[in-house]
Amino acid sequence: MASLRDIKRRIKSVSNTSKITKAMQMVASAKMRRAQEVALRGRDYIAALANVFAHLQETIAESSVALMQRRAAGKVLVLVVNTDRGLCGGLNSNLFKEVLAKCPADADYITIGSKLAPQLTKAGRNLAATFSVGDDFTDSDLKPVLDFMRNHFTDGTYNKVMVAYQGFVNIMVQKPHVQELLPITKEELLAVAAKDDEPDTDNGNFILEPGPAELLNAILPLYFSNAVTQLVLEGKASEQCARMVAMKAATENAKTLIGDLTLEYNKARQAQITNELLEITTAMKAME
Amino acid sequence: MAMQFKIITPLRTALETEVLGILLPGTEGEMEILPGHADLISSVANGELIYRPTAGERKSLFVGGGFLQVESDRILLVTDTALESGEINTDSVEEAIARAKETIKNSASVMSREEITYLEAVLAKQMAMLDYRKKRHP
Repeated sequence: MASLRDIKRRIKSVSNTSKITKAMQMVASAKMRRAQEVALRGRDYIAALANVFAHLQETIAESSVALMQRRAAGKVLVLVVNTDRGLCGGLNSNLFKEVLAKCPADADYITIGSKLAPQLTKAGRNLAATFSVGDDFTDSDLKPVLDFMRNHFTDGTYNKVMVAYQGFVNIMVQKPHVQELLPITKEELLAVAAKDDEPDTDNGNFILEPGPAELLNAILPLYFSNAVTQLVLEGKASEQCARMVAMKAATENAKTLIGDLTLEYNKARQAQITNELLEITTAMKAME
Repeated sequence: MAMQFKIITPLRTALETEVLGILLPGTEGEMEILPGHADLISSVANGELIYRPTAGERKSLFVGGGFLQVESDRILLVTDTALESGEINTDSVEEAIARAKETIKNSASVMSREEITYLEAVLAKQMAMLDYRKKRHP
């Protein structure tokens, strides 16, 4: 049996750890509420944009717009939205599994968040760049990522841009998604537009100002950048939720552990006292 | 007869109300939407939007660029900014303008054409915001 002092030391260290996890849980839950709100509100905006777009669809020729062009030649680029920090449960490793399963091995990879970058390299994937954005990021923080994807897509280096991220379902559930980002397809836009709660009469006879091509050229880049922003927001919300849940579990585990250790400590103490008493009585008996 | 009017920005649903008419800056010029307007999709420029919730009442907002959709008396404006004049902080806007001008002046030679266009767009929006604020609170 471990000595009393050892057990005492362990109890102390576990209770210190539980203080840290408790604090992290509180921080994560405060951040989570905000991130969650922003992520959910952003969905309305994207849906509204897609809804406007859905009404333009009759007049669209896909080949006329750079971001919608389908090409046979070129490589695939995968954007992996993961986290900068760990301690968020299986969030990153689940995402990594999804990436390995669904993304082609010969694709180029870029990441937002640095946790998965070494793992991608280790798995033999070609990592082209790593970006990092803070919790309260603005449009200009995301601009380098957007520019990288847009420019290399338009200049023909890549014919497809995919994205892997942790979709926010609710506090307990985050679901890893892999989807195509570019080229933007009609089907995708229509699917997003369907989530909009506006009723759709769909008569298709709209006056378009300035003209269909100009509108499309203005709306698609906007849609693209907001779609990416939305994915990153969802990733952040998922991260905070996962961290909160993981830290809550850790705090509870620490509590059980402290309970067990205290029991063991008391038993050991009792055994020691019994032992001492035994020694005293034996000594007395011997002296008689 | 009133129309449904809704403004959606990335951060929030900025406005959802019934209106009798709105006046807003289209990219092709000012336009007014009244009940019974033909279905329309138009791009919207930076500037002042005026809406009339009831007869005789006029309210105004600053809107950034975006898109307007009118469909059987339901108006949907999707824009990146929608602020009342009270919500605009003159100091921070002026600071943003100064910063953008500075960047354009100092590093125009090393930036790509896209970056300059982007900065100029930011600048134009901030200037429009400032103009609007000054007009409302002279």
